[in-house]
Amino acid sequence: MSDIIIQAENISKLYRLGALGTGSLKQDITMWWETKVLKKENPFFKTDNSLPEEAINSNYLWSLKNVSFDIREGEVWGIIGHNGAGKSTLLKILSRIIRPTEGVVRGRGKISSLLEVGTGFDQQLSGRENIFISGYMLGMKKNDIRRKFDEIVDFSGVEQFLDTPVKRYSSGMYVRLAFAVAAHLDPDILIVDEVLAVGDSEFQKKCLGKMKEVSTQKGRTILFVSHSMQAINILCEKSIWLQKGKVVANGDTHTVVSNYLSAYQRKLLKQEWGLTEDAPGNVFIKMISVELIPQLKDPLDHIDIRTPLTVKFRFKNNTSNANLVTGLHLFTQSGECIFDVSCNPGVFNEGIVEGECNIPGNFLNDGSYYFSLIFMKDVSRTLFYFEECLHFDMEDFRENTNSFVKWQGYVRPNFPFKLKQANNLVAVM
Amino acid sequence: MTEKQVHWDWEIKSQTTWLGASWKELYSFKDLLFRLVRKDFLASYQQTLLGPFWAVLQPILTVLIYVLVFNKVMSVSTQGIPPFLYYLIGITLWNLFSDIFQYTSITFTANAYIFSKVYFPRIITPLAVMLLHGIRFLIQLLLLIGVLLYYYFTGEVELLPVNALLAIPTVIITAGIGLGSGLIFSIITAKYRDLQNMIQLIIRLLMFVCPIFYSTAMVPAKIKWIVLLNPLSSQFEMFRYAFIGIGETSLLPFLYSTLFMIALVGSGVLLFNKMGDKLIDVI
Repeated sequence: MSDIIIQAENISKLYRLGALGTGSLKQDITMWWETKVLKKENPFFKTDNSLPEEAINSNYLWSLKNVSFDIREGEVWGIIGHNGAGKSTLLKILSRIIRPTEGVVRGRGKISSLLEVGTGFDQQLSGRENIFISGYMLGMKKNDIRRKFDEIVDFSGVEQFLDTPVKRYSSGMYVRLAFAVAAHLDPDILIVDEVLAVGDSEFQKKCLGKMKEVSTQKGRTILFVSHSMQAINILCEKSIWLQKGKVVANGDTHTVVSNYLSAYQRKLLKQEWGLTEDAPGNVFIKMISVELIPQLKDPLDHIDIRTPLTVKFRFKNNTSNANLVTGLHLFTQSGECIFDVSCNPGVFNEGIVEGECNIPGNFLNDGSYYFSLIFMKDVSRTLFYFEECLHFDMEDFRENTNSFVKWQGYVRPNFPFKLKQANNLVAVM
Repeated sequence: MTEKQVHWDWEIKSQTTWLGASWKELYSFKDLLFRLVRKDFLASYQQTLLGPFWAVLQPILTVLIYVLVFNKVMSVSTQGIPPFLYYLIGITLWNLFSDIFQYTSITFTANAYIFSKVYFPRIITPLAVMLLHGIRFLIQLLLLIGVLLYYYFTGEVELLPVNALLAIPTVIITAGIGLGSGLIFSIITAKYRDLQNMIQLIIRLLMFVCPIFYSTAMVPAKIKWIVLLNPLSSQFEMFRYAFIGIGETSLLPFLYSTLFMIALVGSGVLLFNKMGDKLIDVI
């Protein structure tokens, strides 16, 4: 087992919320007077354990609380969690940009961090100048940059615009140049925030490829924040899951990611109103419940593209002897309809009606979806259109491939697809 | 912890140190320092009509205005020296101080977007500002020498090359006072942004307390203490003495200014290091 290269011990970060500025001078003087002159205890930075678990009062927020981990040389760690979970705060502490309120991080070797694309870039200056300025800021040496200059330019593909001010670059060119500089850093520890969220898929592929190369061939330690579980799964062997500033799980990526996804997905998959007045609906139809049931082998698993889904819903029909048809419209997050299926028409009496629709596994591509339900009478007359009943995410799943670029298309069916040798050239000749 | 690590290269904790980055670390960022100077120099002349020529044009225009106001309108004596030269000497040194002070005092507010994204010893930034304005000063010094030679050839002033050496400590002390006070103010303005407005006021006020358009000798005895208290005053007198051989120079005010500069730079650097890393949370 290799040596520990970063050791975080109980790091916490407290932020003061609300308006800073007006009155803060007065507050600061009062604080100073009470803590330094009157020797009262500072209520916010006591180091004993009497601090309440949650924020002490509503003006303060623990962005991180007692986060500890050990990272060994050559490991690639993913950091996952929702927005506001403390991921960026953690990266900023590790990059020495901000100080923890409590706790200590120890480590060895040189750290470079990419918290944004184009650190230190000056809009007025040429690409050439910016390669140097950004390289130096990220901790490169003059000789490193000189030696790698051509490589950087090649990687970025902006050779002919090298002497043009970067403000005239297209955003794509800008990002490519910026990442090209970053990709040629050679630190012992590389910290990467979600910089890959920018750029087209071709470029993202290049970036992830470069990161993989750095980690496998050069044995560098990498810490990587991403919302793309696919990228985390492929790049990182270990992961930390942060929630509200605390470590929820930490360890093997597959376990952590899978726990994270299932915990996140579970909340969203059921809506129930009972027979209440405020349930969605109208005089004809009143919703009772909608539920999405994934057919998982292990109930703790998360939904991925292989998972068959069942939509179950119940509603109260207020029309007697109604000839009803129900349809399910499935949309992508951006609102494009993927399919519209409906049941066979049938005659129903007043009372509770149940419906069920099965969506097979290996059909939808990964992504975020929602569906709507439509209730119609006598084939064409709409009684009620229940828009956006439930949202759900399909996570990616891949085997036998090393590619981690977003799979194209809305659907990803598993049609039979074969190649065979029709004619053996060697045998003919 | 499963094992005890014997040696760590670095440690990040809540306490910040007065001394900041080690010399070794600072030295490893020297390339960045010079690049920043170059960047600021290039960037300030991008898309301009006259480019670096402004470094010369700006003091010429300023001095012309002061000649008009103080000499033509108010008739302040310039001790028999052509007013253009007299004011140019003062303005050249004044620009060095005021530029360094003004631009280092906004270190945090002006660089917040960089400081919140990448780490390097923060002190690099004000040092780069000082070097940049040092270079501008040298350009202006060339102008000053040109003007001086012109008046020498027209026979209006005499040249005293030995005295000129006195300009060297003057420049160092003036730049040091600018940097030291700029560092201290950079901490203050980072936390209380509105105090940035004060900087302009302070600079304008200081300008009239410095003997730029007058000499210390002309100040009435009753309020002379104000001018003497100002550590920059003796520097202006000395700077003038270095070029045209007139001005009050004596050891005591010089020592006062030197000590003042050392104390200011020392406390500025310490405060900057101690507070700088904490300020990223509030800027």
